[in-house]
Amino acid sequence: MKKIAGLFVALLLVFGLLAGCVSQQGAGGNSNSSKDGKDEAGGGDGKIKIAVVPKLIGIPYFNASEKGAIQAGKDLGVEVIYTGPTEADAAQQVKVIEDLISQDVDVIAVAPNDAAALSPVLQKAKDKGIIVMDWDTPADQSLVELSVHQIDDEAYGRHIAKSLVEQMGTEEGEIAILTGGLAAANLNSWIDAAKKELEENYPGIKLVTDKIATDEKQQVAYQKTLDLIKSYPNLKGIMAFSTPAPLGAAQAIQEKGLQDKIAVVGTALPKDSAPFLEDGSLDVAILWEPDKLGYLTVALAKDLVDGKKPENGQNIDGVGEVEVWEDGKTVIMGPPTDFTKDNAKDYDF
Amino acid sequence: MKQVTLSKENILGLIAIGLFVLMSISVPGFLSSNNLTNMMFQLPEFGLFALAMMVVIVTGGIDLSITYTAALAGVAIAILSSNGYPMIIAILGGIAVGLLCGFMNGFIIAKIGVSPILVTLGTMVLFEGLILSITKGNSISGFSPEYTLIGNGYYLGLIPLSIIIFLFVAILTSVLLNKTVWGRSVYMVGSNPVASLFSGVNNSKVLMKVYLYSALLAAIASIIMTSRYNTVKVDLGSSYLLQSVAAAVLGGTEIQGGYGKVIGTLYAVMIFQMISSGLNLMGVPRPIVTVIMGVILIAVLIINFIKVKADENKQKKLAETA
Repeated sequence: MKKIAGLFVALLLVFGLLAGCVSQQGAGGNSNSSKDGKDEAGGGDGKIKIAVVPKLIGIPYFNASEKGAIQAGKDLGVEVIYTGPTEADAAQQVKVIEDLISQDVDVIAVAPNDAAALSPVLQKAKDKGIIVMDWDTPADQSLVELSVHQIDDEAYGRHIAKSLVEQMGTEEGEIAILTGGLAAANLNSWIDAAKKELEENYPGIKLVTDKIATDEKQQVAYQKTLDLIKSYPNLKGIMAFSTPAPLGAAQAIQEKGLQDKIAVVGTALPKDSAPFLEDGSLDVAILWEPDKLGYLTVALAKDLVDGKKPENGQNIDGVGEVEVWEDGKTVIMGPPTDFTKDNAKDYDF
Repeated sequence: MKQVTLSKENILGLIAIGLFVLMSISVPGFLSSNNLTNMMFQLPEFGLFALAMMVVIVTGGIDLSITYTAALAGVAIAILSSNGYPMIIAILGGIAVGLLCGFMNGFIIAKIGVSPILVTLGTMVLFEGLILSITKGNSISGFSPEYTLIGNGYYLGLIPLSIIIFLFVAILTSVLLNKTVWGRSVYMVGSNPVASLFSGVNNSKVLMKVYLYSALLAAIASIIMTSRYNTVKVDLGSSYLLQSVAAAVLGGTEIQGGYGKVIGTLYAVMIFQMISSGLNLMGVPRPIVTVIMGVILIAVLIINFIKVKADENKQKKLAETA
């Protein structure tokens, strides 16, 4: 009985503490913001420091963008810190950004794993006078100065759908969609655009099932594709979103020898997809060039520090012309690149 | 005169202090108020998971479902508060859901007797599935501004509220483990369940409470995390799972059970935090930070092992001479 009483008292104390403190927060929060103002005056040494934070480090896609970002740093004479979480975990990413704030960087450009999770920490960065922007994936738009997109999501989704129909060689038949994760905002907007394209222009194409999640893993995509082939023997095409998914799908097609029967189109890196493009198990890989995206991010970040905003049609050295939307915030790098068996070998990412 | 002994915990404490001094000297900006508050904000959630894990490991078990328990509790809080329930109801609801998760683990482990690693592996997948089916993989936000103060606010404008909650829980855990009948039974069950059973300890009751307590701490961690990140998602804090095991073990907790102290875990969490923040400030790439943490973990475990062996030998010699 004593034990239970002890536990109960303990619980009560926890609640008591929680409840007691919240009321005191109003005052606490205020005095803190005044402290922030003081900090802002300090910091700032000669070289501009630009921090580029990917969703995670150590995967080919973000390694390629790191290369571009570092190169831009060298070309433009700014210090580039390219660091991110080792897992695609929002909590880890928040910590990385908190540490960057302590380092007195001038710009933080982030590709959020979860936009909402980053809002408080990005607000903190902004309060300290750090310029906040996003790249690759949008963050909370009320906090960022610039939003660098690799692609126009709508056009990209439609392009993928169109390419698939082209590769199928017919405007009728059953198709399926694989995706990295059900929650990924960018993947979802591409898929929605692709679906719209099919509905509007190719009424003969039938989607056999809802989009299938593959957990950003090639192995899972492979397994799910095998299941699809079994469940839908008349399947003619697969659209695979997220970089590992097309590879897994192509692997399954290759193993079953269905290269000519089922067309696979997806968002994959050329180096990974080259072996599958070679024998037609993957028909086209459609993506942008992530190294250019890294380069562009750093270039625009430096411009922001210098007080320059990007303009529509502006030519960025090493990237090309960029499109800027009317809000003056959203920057589109350019049209997607089709990687086929003819050109895939020319890229080293 | 009482001799100052170099217990595992004291060694760790010295390492922690040494590390702090070393970092303060060699890392520019380590002592800045910004970095210090940063560390205080980052430590609580990790520390709570580590404590929760430690209590379970002391019984010779492990709780792999801990981060998903937290995520599920967070989802409950998010749903309740986005539906307009007052904050206190939402928090209580979250804790209730967390306790339910703990009860499930506890019931299967303590009453049915399945091994903890299997049970919690199962419940981990189960909770993950539950969250996925509720959230469809999306993140839920929509917490009230007052709620976000729990994780982001300062107590008296100086010390982060979350670290006060954490210290409070740490002290509470220490008192519960050392001063209550339940706490002493936890160690007994951990070191020898058969012996404890025959000494009149109700093993299954003790175990049940251990899993409930660990789930409670996970739920508190969840409150801090959801309010800090203003969102909850299926993988909320998933990277803490193995880190919390590592921290508990680094803190001197015996993985076979029977030994483990709150203060040791606290030191371990502080060491991890200082290394992570310090090396990040120095601009060391994250993978290298992870490598260094691994090396330190292994080194400390080896030192502990050697020390235990040495003590055993000394005692043997003493026994021989006597």
